[in-house]
Amino acid sequence: MSELEIKLSRSNRIYRPDEPLQGKIITKFSSSVSHYGVRLSVNGSVNLQVRGGSAGVIESVVGVLKPITIVKRSVEIRPSGKISSGTTEIPFSLILKQPGERKSGKFYETFHGEDISIQYLLTVEVARGYLHKSLSATLEFIIESEKAEHLELPISPELVFFYITQDTQKHPLLSELKSGGFRVSGRIPTQCSLSCALRGELTVEASALPIQSIDIHLLRVESILVGDRIASETSLIQTTQIADGDISRGLTLPIYVLLPRLLTCPSVLAGPFSIEFKVSIVINFQSELSKLHPKSDPRTPRLWLAMETLPLELVRTR
Amino acid sequence: MEGKMVRIQSYELKVDVKDEEKDDTFDPLRASRGSIVVPSKNSEDAPYASKSDISSSYVQPLGKEWTTFKKFLVQKFPPSKTVAVSSAADLVVRSHKAYEKSNTHLDELDDPLGSAVEDVKFISQQEYTARLSEMKNEILCTWAAGDHFKSLKLSVARLLRDTALLQFYPTLFTLATDILDMLGDMVWQRIKQKAEFSEDGSQNHALPEDFQVSDVCSDAKETCHNWFCKIGSIRDLLPRIYLELAILPCWRFLLDDTTDVIQRLLAMMRGLGNPLASAYCHLYMVYCVQKLPLCQKGYLVTCIKDINRMMLPLVSSKETTEGRNNENYQVLVHLMEPPMWYIMKCLFKDHQELPPEAVRSNTLHILDLIACGIGSSFDQCMNFRLLGFRLYETDAPVEIVNVVLERVMQDVIEYQDLDNFLKVIDGYVDVVLQNQMKVQLEGLLERIAERACNKWIKDSELESLQSVFIKILSHTKCLEDIIELNFFAEIIDVMRGASKNAINMRILQIATRSGCIRCPTTIQFLFEVCQGLHNAKGSSDMLDSDYQPLERLCSCFVHMVDFGTEWERHLAFLIECRATFASADEIKETLVHHANCLVMKALKDSKQLVSFGKSCLAFSEATIPSVATPVKQLYLYLETAEVALTSSLVSHSDGLIDSTISSLQNFVAQDSVTPLDVDRIICIIQKLCSLLIMVPGNPMRGVTFIPKSLLSLVNSHSLQKTARLRVRILCANIIMLAALSQHKLPYSPCGTKEVPGNDLLHFDDLYYHEELASICGHILPDFVHAVKEEASPIARGSLALEACNCIVSALQVWS
Repeated sequence: MSELEIKLSRSNRIYRPDEPLQGKIITKFSSSVSHYGVRLSVNGSVNLQVRGGSAGVIESVVGVLKPITIVKRSVEIRPSGKISSGTTEIPFSLILKQPGERKSGKFYETFHGEDISIQYLLTVEVARGYLHKSLSATLEFIIESEKAEHLELPISPELVFFYITQDTQKHPLLSELKSGGFRVSGRIPTQCSLSCALRGELTVEASALPIQSIDIHLLRVESILVGDRIASETSLIQTTQIADGDISRGLTLPIYVLLPRLLTCPSVLAGPFSIEFKVSIVINFQSELSKLHPKSDPRTPRLWLAMETLPLELVRTR
Repeated sequence: MEGKMVRIQSYELKVDVKDEEKDDTFDPLRASRGSIVVPSKNSEDAPYASKSDISSSYVQPLGKEWTTFKKFLVQKFPPSKTVAVSSAADLVVRSHKAYEKSNTHLDELDDPLGSAVEDVKFISQQEYTARLSEMKNEILCTWAAGDHFKSLKLSVARLLRDTALLQFYPTLFTLATDILDMLGDMVWQRIKQKAEFSEDGSQNHALPEDFQVSDVCSDAKETCHNWFCKIGSIRDLLPRIYLELAILPCWRFLLDDTTDVIQRLLAMMRGLGNPLASAYCHLYMVYCVQKLPLCQKGYLVTCIKDINRMMLPLVSSKETTEGRNNENYQVLVHLMEPPMWYIMKCLFKDHQELPPEAVRSNTLHILDLIACGIGSSFDQCMNFRLLGFRLYETDAPVEIVNVVLERVMQDVIEYQDLDNFLKVIDGYVDVVLQNQMKVQLEGLLERIAERACNKWIKDSELESLQSVFIKILSHTKCLEDIIELNFFAEIIDVMRGASKNAINMRILQIATRSGCIRCPTTIQFLFEVCQGLHNAKGSSDMLDSDYQPLERLCSCFVHMVDFGTEWERHLAFLIECRATFASADEIKETLVHHANCLVMKALKDSKQLVSFGKSCLAFSEATIPSVATPVKQLYLYLETAEVALTSSLVSHSDGLIDSTISSLQNFVAQDSVTPLDVDRIICIIQKLCSLLIMVPGNPMRGVTFIPKSLLSLVNSHSLQKTARLRVRILCANIIMLAALSQHKLPYSPCGTKEVPGNDLLHFDDLYYHEELASICGHILPDFVHAVKEEASPIARGSLALEACNCIVSALQVWS
């Protein structure tokens, strides 16, 4: 049995492009292994994929687009030789962004989306000639943008006021709601630091129907330039319920949403693609009808739902 | 919901648990009573339970207290056999395989089945409980397998959304929080381990109990942060809050000041629309926050306010809504009481009760609260009573007292039960007396009288009455104030037994504090009091140890009675006393002293009261024989004889001296004469001899009759062995005889009317002098006999010397 493993110096595996990527390669061999060199390669890329819907038929057939390379480098850590049996540790240190390198390779932050995925992989390969299969191991590490690019703290939390009433809804509502009315107001930031929680507040001022639930949906909008068209897809990242049941009127509820790692990143507006975020406040009124549609997409406008969607810019702060 | 709705009667707060220290429960406005014994069946046999140590010192008593509280909860709301389970609890019913297959982030930690299907199932309570402990084990297994976050998937917190369980909800709460606590402890341990140990397992440094964020390495912080992120990504509000609460202590790894976290969680809880879920969630929060060091108490007030806001619609809709809902609301309110109580208890942890200022400034609010009976399962009367006590302790101003008293009376007047009524009154007596509100006091007494008179008073009511009256008495300086008090005597009249005795004793104590008692009404009143007490003697209501103080008090009272110059009336009083207290020696002694005193006073005041003197002496003569103690009897005889002599009633004095001698004979004839008695006898005989000098000899019996009878007493068989006694008596006799033989006696009774002494009666009477000499002649051989009888040579020598000294000094006079 032979084992090959990469261990990074940081257990959270988060590095900035201007920081050296340090760690060690650990081999656990039952007998000594001769090799033609130990190579370490870094591969960072933006992977794009277009699903049906907004994209055209051809693109949907094509599906996966050519990934955009951010970084691709290979370094020989050990020249050819022999690795003895037992546990061997080979330390390494890689510089991701050469100071003199061309500017084009911008290090986007790691992001795991539906259509867009920004991923950085570190692969170690022990080449063993033609007779033997070469040994390899891969580890994803996470890139956060450089300190120099961070915004100054504190970012002024620009809170916008929102009002949700029967009149702000573009879709048809239950007749009781339409006639009886409701009014939910609140404040929510349009810009939020990734290291902080999204904090706002919400008040149910009045409602003709009892409330079933109020949820905050965190949405991502992934857009990809396909030819001369932009294929844009909105999907749900996370739902956070802030009211469960018919809450008191006039009581201010906090909106407190922790932003999940990897599933969020600073909003990106690059040429070939863009990643943006939205917050949607959805009020679910108690109704017999809602029980008939237990598994409906929360973003689908329904008679018993009222919603408000606001853009949210995510930023990396120092 | 199948189980019957249990109407919770009184809110018993004490839970006795075997092998556990009694929980010091309290209620700021009410003393707790009674106790519930909880069978020690519970879930703390969990494998993990012993390992929990979220920084020991302040958590350990908390854990114990919490266990007790949980037992109390289960006991208070015993679940019915079957539980109707709604879809929220599906994971209890179904196998959890259903959501194993979930792979997207969204589904990972959420209920994939949704909560819309209102599918009601019935399972037995045992099944439910068994399933929960199964879940607990599953969590332990996944944890042990290294999949730490997965344990969140099995989280039971979601179950707590099922508030339709009503009666079973508290039990569910205790079971679920038990698991949550276990999870919380495991997470704490894991992070702590990360902070203390490096990757290869060697210990870096132990975290001190009061560690700071700066003591924690970034690796541990990272892990901790991940936990909060994972929990933060849970969709449902209630499970999210519960889980964050479960690992609340872990915030210490990230923040030095957790105030903001608590505030945020509190605010988040406002999103819980169900009052029951909200109340128990607050309860769990209060418990968890106590695991943090040095937490401020302000959040508790917010908790109470928030629960209160949820409760209010329930309470107010009580009147409007009808039927089943109404009953449901009531059950809800009762179910919500324990969380409220626990939070209140935490709020007052260091105070034990409301601070006096708080009571003083909120008296009327508190009164409103009690009056409108919001805490309907508490005894209203006990609350009223406690408020009264607090008013007294806080020195409330008179105006407030007046207002409160008036309001309380309005409510209490409707009480039919005397006991409850008295309990309330008992609370207000002190404050009324403190402010010298006599009118109000009489008002209270009148109401008591209305209820207490003409009915049989129960023992418990007697105790309350006693408490009320003792309070009144302890505020009284002058007895007249009490006697004047309307309804006071009437109520005392209807009392009985030990309570009445206690009050009577107290009255006597007050009465005997002052100088003398002149008012006839008071005297009569006190006489009846004494009589009542005296009659109670020997009954089971009075302890033997009470007798002596009682007699002392009574004789003190008798002693203090003063009728001025109404001698006859005073004597009549003494006679009445003798009739009443025939069995009390000390009182009879006082009576004789008093009668003698009366004779002397009357003598000084007016010389014409011979017949009154005779009456008094007759009274004494009749009384003394009934005194049981011989020595006392003898002294009383001598005293009375002297008084008789002083008032020139020679025949009386003769009779009394005879009685003295015969009673002396009887006394001496007793076998049990102690050395102390010997000394007393010597003393009495010496006194008698000195008295005899003044007593004119009786010509009928011969002038030396009394000395002779004294000598025969000395020679009586029973005194043979006490040489000292004999020698002393003989000495006294010699000296007396010597004095008598003088031409002028050394002293005479200083009475108003001259009683002629022997010196006058037998002036120059040769026969008289010869007789004296002949007695002396008899005495001398007796001396020799008596001295010889003394066994000890030293004592014998000393006695011989004493005798010689006496004889020699007499000889000088004689010659």
